[in-house]
Amino acid sequence: MASQVSTADVLIVGGGLIGCASAWHLADHGLAIELVERGHINAGASGQNAGSLHFQIERRFLEQGEQAAREGAVIVLLSKLAIGDWATLEDRLGRPLDIAMHGGLMVAETEAELDLLAFKVGRENELGLSTVLLDAAELRAHSRCLSPALAGAAWLAEEGHANPRILTDAYAQAAKQRGAVLHTGTRVTRLTMEQDGTYRVQLVEAGKERTVLARKVLLAAGHWSTRLANMLGLNLPLYPAPLTMSVTDRADPMLPFLVQHVGQRLSMKQTDDGNLLIGGGWPSRLERGEDGLPDLDRPALVDSANLRANLEVAARVMPALRQRSLLRTWTGTTCVSADQLPIVGEISAAPGLFVAAGGSLFTLGPVLARLLAQTIATGTMAEEIALFSPARFAKLDAFAVLP
Amino acid sequence: MRTYDVAIVGGGPAGLAAAGQVLEAGLSLCVIDEQQRPGGQILRQPPETFAVPGWLPGASYRNARALLDRVAADERMVWFGGQSVLAIQPAADNDGWDLVLAGTAGPGSGPVKARRVLVAGGCYDMPVAFAGWTTPGVMSAGGLQTLVKAQQFLPGERVVLFGTHPLMIVLAQQVIAAGGDLAAVCFAQPFSRMAQLALGKIPAALASPGPLVAAAQGMAALRKAGVAVHFGASVERCDAGPEGRGVQVHFAGKAGPLHFSADVAAMCYGFLPQSDLLRQCGAEVRWSMPAGGWEAVHNGLYRSSLAGLYVAGETTGVTGSDAAMSEGAMAGLAITADAGKLDQRTLDARIAPYRRRRQRLEGFIDLLRTVADPRGRLPEASGDTLLCRCEDIPAQAVDEAIIEATAMGRAFGASEIKLRCRAGMGLCQGRSCEHALIRRIAASRKVSEASVAGFKARFPVRPVTISQLIDNGEQ
Amino acid sequence: MSRIERGVTRPEPITIVIDGETVPAFSGETVAVAILARDQLRFRDDRSGRARGMFCNMGTCGECTVWVGAEQGAWERLRACLVPVRPGLEVCRCPPEDER
Repeated sequence: MASQVSTADVLIVGGGLIGCASAWHLADHGLAIELVERGHINAGASGQNAGSLHFQIERRFLEQGEQAAREGAVIVLLSKLAIGDWATLEDRLGRPLDIAMHGGLMVAETEAELDLLAFKVGRENELGLSTVLLDAAELRAHSRCLSPALAGAAWLAEEGHANPRILTDAYAQAAKQRGAVLHTGTRVTRLTMEQDGTYRVQLVEAGKERTVLARKVLLAAGHWSTRLANMLGLNLPLYPAPLTMSVTDRADPMLPFLVQHVGQRLSMKQTDDGNLLIGGGWPSRLERGEDGLPDLDRPALVDSANLRANLEVAARVMPALRQRSLLRTWTGTTCVSADQLPIVGEISAAPGLFVAAGGSLFTLGPVLARLLAQTIATGTMAEEIALFSPARFAKLDAFAVLP
Repeated sequence: MRTYDVAIVGGGPAGLAAAGQVLEAGLSLCVIDEQQRPGGQILRQPPETFAVPGWLPGASYRNARALLDRVAADERMVWFGGQSVLAIQPAADNDGWDLVLAGTAGPGSGPVKARRVLVAGGCYDMPVAFAGWTTPGVMSAGGLQTLVKAQQFLPGERVVLFGTHPLMIVLAQQVIAAGGDLAAVCFAQPFSRMAQLALGKIPAALASPGPLVAAAQGMAALRKAGVAVHFGASVERCDAGPEGRGVQVHFAGKAGPLHFSADVAAMCYGFLPQSDLLRQCGAEVRWSMPAGGWEAVHNGLYRSSLAGLYVAGETTGVTGSDAAMSEGAMAGLAITADAGKLDQRTLDARIAPYRRRRQRLEGFIDLLRTVADPRGRLPEASGDTLLCRCEDIPAQAVDEAIIEATAMGRAFGASEIKLRCRAGMGLCQGRSCEHALIRRIAASRKVSEASVAGFKARFPVRPVTISQLIDNGEQ
Repeated sequence: MSRIERGVTRPEPITIVIDGETVPAFSGETVAVAILARDQLRFRDDRSGRARGMFCNMGTCGECTVWVGAEQGAWERLRACLVPVRPGLEVCRCPPEDER
């Protein structure tokens, strides 16, 4: 029996932040959008990350030569756009998203780390990001809840946090209002290209097969994007990164801003409800499947040593944390690309096939989704995201045969 | 790390019975419990510093007490009292399990490793939401009972008991014996219905007549003491008493409303298995009938779905302490056999009497389960009644979250509702409201409770002070 | 609210400190009982300021969680129903001043 066939201008795979935000923007461009998600909306890394809005330059862009410095500069420019997007997002989506942009600190524990921060602030200021360097005394005056032993910090007034539990859903609802069609519990079983360049996407939803023909497809499925690209014989160098996040009991307001660490993996913030959220990129452990390989379909396990290390650095920065109760530690698997930059844009070997995945996509998610939607709708790549183009990995697809 | 052949989580009847078998086989053993002393909830002992010569009289406690006296005195058993198990994790060397511990009363004792682990975590009173149930003085029947029998403390002179579970009869006697005054015992189900259900089950229950006799004697004792026992009286609301002292509990009775003033109102609608440790490490569980909650699945020999991990007692479904003792003994024997200390034939022979004993209890268990069935008798929680008492999330907010989630597709469970409205995000880590959320989701989606996914059980299984986690790891 | 006297022999009383007030207690008793024995059903206030009492008395519900003095002047949030009193133990039902 022939399965049901329908069409869409753009089929989006993945109901996370990028997928749902892109659906919303693309629907605004007047396109017929279908989004499919194998679990439920916001089930993956978009809902499991710690919700930091961090715009200060990461350490790796400061210490790894000129190429890294240039990349850092592009990201600063994007961050400036992202700040604008976040600041207006609640208005545009028409609902509260617990977005708090009350500032963020990147702290230093040693003089060497403080020197690095000073260098960073100088570069950020040149690029138009108004970071301020605080020495130990200034930091102490600024935020009494942090350890007096800290050497100093870099302060950026626009940093903060948002609520990952509700953001993606807000995008999804808004996308539906604009006419996008969302299907959860729907799995892609086959992805092929027709002779005329149309994509044929075979789906299974509640045990029923159907097919969507789409001129364009966007892979926004985190590390599963690699598997989807594999269906077309294409290679995306994205690697799973299982991480650890923790939350404490509710406390009286004590930490109004985001805290990061220039030399250690740390992010820490207090939610509107009072819980302290602790993360920063400490790995969790993927279980092994029957084949001996990491099982990406099962949640990663908490690694006790990494959790302890994460809590240790957090408590060193904010000693009052020692007395809080840990309520939950959870894991979520994001992905990183071969060069640690997101992969966003059209895949050279497969015209009409787009991807958006690979790290830091909460903070930059809204702006990247907007620029990517513009790219997909107009057929012209937005300049601001050129750095992230999959073209840099085009040689991996040198032997691809399409259609 | 301290390493044992066997670790048992839970020092109640099931855990102690298993401990007895494990010790007899000469295996090294530690037993971990949140309480300071062994016994579990059913035999919660008074503090060691107290002398209570007449503690827990009555035939129904006799077997369990004998077990407690025997095993707790065994010096080969390493006892970790006052310790919460935060997680059971596959050992780094893939040989057994690591148990992460925290102290319930201060610094914990660091992690423990064991080749085999038995989880005999018992059960807890099902918390049931209704208007005013968060008023101080409203507590669980088990909470009241353990205050009386272990702490030798009566949290009020005048007590109201309500719910569907006949344990109320036992508790009422204990309150009276402690010098308390019973304002009323209110069964939500009508007497005629209870009798009708019981009648067909009594013949099978007589295979092990002890509990039935105790229940009959209990009712007679209450009648003699002049305690008003109401049937068909469902709780509607509880208010704080005058000047915030005590409670006023309002019931819808068969012959009109009933009102009682008391110091304490204790609810007794049945018990939910303690299974979050098992759920967290991925062992198979299923929805427990009829009261709800998640019970651990085993293979008939109390081996869980994970190799080297065993389950027994109320964790596998709430059946009472006599059944738990038999199950614990069988689990202990299975562990002993798997550790190479018993061959299959000896195992079969030694298990047989416990299996028969467990089998003889089935009739009474079935009777009790049927008579106590809370389904259809639970009070209504709606509007601003808090479903999640930790985070103050009202029923209305949960219902709105269910509607929102439904609009986004039907593939959602309790965790998705939690993420939307914060129900289950507080200090109880979802133990109080999970069953209520599942019931509401099931009703809204018109599916069975068993098919609704529960909260994802996370590390740690009990809240833990962060300083303990940081400092304990160094040991 | 009372300790059962009949058939129970308790050790010599000790004192502990609850919310800054010195109160008698018996070694081995739980902090929860020491609070209840002060004729106090209230263990905390909820987010709307309404009083809350203990519920399960077995460490499952967390309703009786209080602040207990730990080492070096630090405080720990523990379930009062699981903590035996010891001489001089300090207990706060609300966050202690130096924790705020």
